[in-house]
Amino acid sequence: MSTGAVSPQHPAVPLRHRLNIDKLSAAQLATFRAAISGAMGISDERGYNDQAGIHGLPLPISCDVAHGRPIFLPWHRAYLYFFELTLRDLQPDVTLPWWDWTADRHVPPAYSERDADGQPNPLFSAKVDPLAVQQGAEEGDRKGDVTRREPGAAGAPPLPTAKEINDLLALRDFLDFTQQLEQYHNNVHVWVGGHMGDIPFAAFDPIFYAHHAMIDRVWRLWQLRHPSIGVPHRLLGEALPPFGMTVHQTLDSNTLGYDYAVRGSTGAGTG
Amino acid sequence: MAGLFVSEPVLNPAAEGEPAFTRADLVFYGVDHSGPSFEARIFLNSPEAGLSTPRDPEAGFAGSFTIFGHAGCAGDAGHCDVPTGPADPFDVRPPHALTRQTRTVIITEALQRISAPELIITIVPVRPGPLSAELAETLAFDEFRLLTYL
Repeated sequence: MSTGAVSPQHPAVPLRHRLNIDKLSAAQLATFRAAISGAMGISDERGYNDQAGIHGLPLPISCDVAHGRPIFLPWHRAYLYFFELTLRDLQPDVTLPWWDWTADRHVPPAYSERDADGQPNPLFSAKVDPLAVQQGAEEGDRKGDVTRREPGAAGAPPLPTAKEINDLLALRDFLDFTQQLEQYHNNVHVWVGGHMGDIPFAAFDPIFYAHHAMIDRVWRLWQLRHPSIGVPHRLLGEALPPFGMTVHQTLDSNTLGYDYAVRGSTGAGTG
Repeated sequence: MAGLFVSEPVLNPAAEGEPAFTRADLVFYGVDHSGPSFEARIFLNSPEAGLSTPRDPEAGFAGSFTIFGHAGCAGDAGHCDVPTGPADPFDVRPPHALTRQTRTVIITEALQRISAPELIITIVPVRPGPLSAELAETLAFDEFRLLTYL
């Protein structure tokens, strides 16, 4: 899916497109891995651990304002937006890929392979902020200091199907839509398991961002299908801490400079 | 907190003679999400449902909701205590993180299959595991409502 639209703010600048992780070219995947690796090597607020900690531990757990609430989608759109900008500071052409779990019914190879190009694959696992590990352990949520997964463990809820998402896209009320989509979102978190399975550590797993890009994409698809149905007016001015944005500022992904496509490649112009 | 939940019988809005409907929601109010994650599987008129009951319509499976859990409290004493009592009208802070939530499960097709006059709602909370699933003991909610819409 792509609208081909231009950014309302910068009409002469092409939108960046988030692509299906399974359709990235070798060069695009290498660029994405380089961005993630670079962020993992930074220990300040530009780094991977700091960004991941925004969602969960260490305290404060900022996503607490978002889960189970009507701002679930706007808050996570803002989260991905700033995370993607952080990566683009390291690799200017990178965008966040999405994992279409309706078609790809396993952890995508880009994330499940332990090594890539002879190096440890940064999408396979990540080190967890030691303070987060300590705070979790103090309350009985003992997680390892390196992320791991238990995809499709016994008793795990199923991944959402294409039919379920198509039915979801037919809903004609935002609050109904977001609550049902969040349920499917929860199922994927628990299906992946391990660090992804609970709020405090989920965002340390690199697949978190591909999962949430898919959630954000489904919202974008719903917006395209129902252009006259919006977020309730009373929510538009709500802040999305700690991002310094309001719900209203997240509604148009084109204003944020991005859209979604399945596959993308770029050619030179006339100069 | 509880494991299995089996409701008292409630009137079935899909019973013979009741008005037709195009959508049925099972809405849970005051759902606790402070513990670890789990899936709450919902069965209709299957009071014996348990961990091994399949997710088949024939077994009464109607849908589920999943708690993406907070997994405990990492703060100091009082950090995870949800305020009670009247709210200060000038307090514009967001609700406490562990304020209980509402979950809506669409059960239209499952309900339309049942014509008995009464319904029993069974909830099986399941926590996945590497070798086998286990019954979660952290299911808690204030009430449920079964709502149908024309």
